[in-house]
Amino acid sequence: MSEPASILEITNLTKHFGGVTAVSNIDISVQEGQIASLIGPNGAGKTTLFNCVTGLESPSEGSVKFQDQNIVGLRPDQIAEIGMARTFQNIRLFSQLTVLDNVKIGRHCRSKSRLWSSVSRNQKQRQEESHITSHAFQQLSFVGLEGLRDHLAGNLSYGDQRRVEIARALAMGPKLLLLDEPAAGMNPQETQQLIELIHAIREQEITILLIEHDMKMVMQISDWVTVIAQGEKISAGEPEAVQNDERVIRAYLGESYDAET
Amino acid sequence: MPRKLFTSKTVILFVAVCLFPLIAYGSDRIVDLLYERGIALPLPSGDYILRVVVQACLYMLLALGLNIVPGFTGLLDLGYVGFYLVGGYTAGLLMARLGWSYWIVLPLAAVHGALWGLLRGAPTLRLTGDYFAIVTFGFSELLFRIVKNEQWLIGGPNGFVNDIPPPILFGYQLNKYWQQYYHILILLVLTIVVVHRLQHSRVGRAWAAIREDERAAESMGINLREYKSLAFAVSAAIGAVGGAFFAQFQVNISAGVFEFWESIFILCMVVLGGMGTIKGSILGAGILGVLGELLREFGGWRYLIFGILLILIMRFRPAGLLSKKEQD
Ligand SMILES: Nc1ncnc2c1ncn2[C@@H]1O[C@H](COP(=O)(O)OP(=O)(O)O)[C@@H](O)[C@H]1O
Ligand SMILES: [Mg+2]
Repeated sequence: MSEPASILEITNLTKHFGGVTAVSNIDISVQEGQIASLIGPNGAGKTTLFNCVTGLESPSEGSVKFQDQNIVGLRPDQIAEIGMARTFQNIRLFSQLTVLDNVKIGRHCRSKSRLWSSVSRNQKQRQEESHITSHAFQQLSFVGLEGLRDHLAGNLSYGDQRRVEIARALAMGPKLLLLDEPAAGMNPQETQQLIELIHAIREQEITILLIEHDMKMVMQISDWVTVIAQGEKISAGEPEAVQNDERVIRAYLGESYDAET
Repeated sequence: MPRKLFTSKTVILFVAVCLFPLIAYGSDRIVDLLYERGIALPLPSGDYILRVVVQACLYMLLALGLNIVPGFTGLLDLGYVGFYLVGGYTAGLLMARLGWSYWIVLPLAAVHGALWGLLRGAPTLRLTGDYFAIVTFGFSELLFRIVKNEQWLIGGPNGFVNDIPPPILFGYQLNKYWQQYYHILILLVLTIVVVHRLQHSRVGRAWAAIREDERAAESMGINLREYKSLAFAVSAAIGAVGGAFFAQFQVNISAGVFEFWESIFILCMVVLGGMGTIKGSILGAGILGVLGELLREFGGWRYLIFGILLILIMRFRPAGLLSKKEQD
């Protein structure tokens, strides 16, 4: 590989909610091509950090740079367009739409048809539609769900819904994929398939930033792990190093650690 | 699309729709013939039937337009009649006072309606739920009061605009009911095509995403401002086209037609048939549009009947008559 370049550079990030400081002064740097993980007990501020990076929350302080571009202040749709995609801890599919439509919507930011071309159905629009459809098929078979494409997303099992969310995010053609607890609610077999899926995503030259509770999984697939607790970064490094870090062990054993939620 | 278009059912429906005036006037002839032989059939006149059907078709067009905002995009609109009013007065004033041709006024009304849709949308883009609904209500109420009270603008009290001339096509005045039937039919079919194509396009999917989950939608790269504005504009343009048709059809219009209740009436049609579906809007408007005419002699009491009907729907078919899935 060529020399590693930083794709995401979070500096000094802080987020207050009223009196609560959910994220405090955090620095994280994600290298291109990595699988980086973010772990920490419940309420540590992991999801809040994702929200600040993807524009759903605006940070109180600090900066976020994506491919050397400052993205603080951009809207979520603008951030999606420049190549960042995410999934949600509490699955946010379009539950009354079909699985296929969910994934097609992921393609929104890589397609163009607007009012006039949609109404006139000109040749460009029809071509684009068939591209969107075939791309969505491709993503669905990539996550192994092509058979469920006409089902309503809300009717799928938990594990399948998480995969649809990943397919939808991949349809966005991202350079960086943020996964918020993708293994939550999965059984060991599904988790194993998920690990394989994440490896396969990396093969497509997509950098991954992962929030996960499943320690075994994190240690197995991560190139780099950042640990936060109560909004503060307490450790960062390669999995083995982090695993043996005093502060990490204390944070995990000291807090009430709930692996399920 | 894999579905077959030319089944015997659709062909019969198509022929019946195309030849409907013949059927209506044919029944007139039969009634006349039987009357000469001393048999009195209590059938309504062909003109009356056609007038009711034209009215119902107009409501279908309006319901399809309204449906775009609450049905496709998920924002409750309680002021749709405002755009109907804009179209009605744009056409009425330009035709009756300035003598403009209907065929120029009709697209102008659509554009004018769309502008008001955008104007109304601008301050509401950050609002959701109840707040949005209140703004839509206030907006249509404002327009209603303007046409009712501002005589300098309308030129008469209570928003009266009289003697709106009929459209002229190839030298013929379109002032007969059968002509108006084909007139609204063409507008309705055009509206269905436009709305259907939008629904099944990138635009329609963006609307559906906003309806299902705004935050997830913007994380997919959907610009909420842009797509909500687009929904408002298209919906308003269709409402204004309905208004323009109405103005030339009624010949005389007044503010009273554009009261708040009319918005609710159209919304009921959308809800009755099933929010967010084209067939549902057409069915709901067909039922309530015809019923509204037939029950006209009951005056305000007919709203009681509509109310009961809606309560029954909510109880037994919460997602509308045409819904397959139950909503939570
Ligand atoms: N919108 C919000 N308003 C107020 N407090 C919030 C909000 N979102 C998160 N928090 C608080 O911020 C802290 C971090 O939450 P979160 O980021 O969800 O943690 P994690 O994802 O690590 O479990 C928690 O104490 C939570 O209660
Ligand atoms: Mg979380």
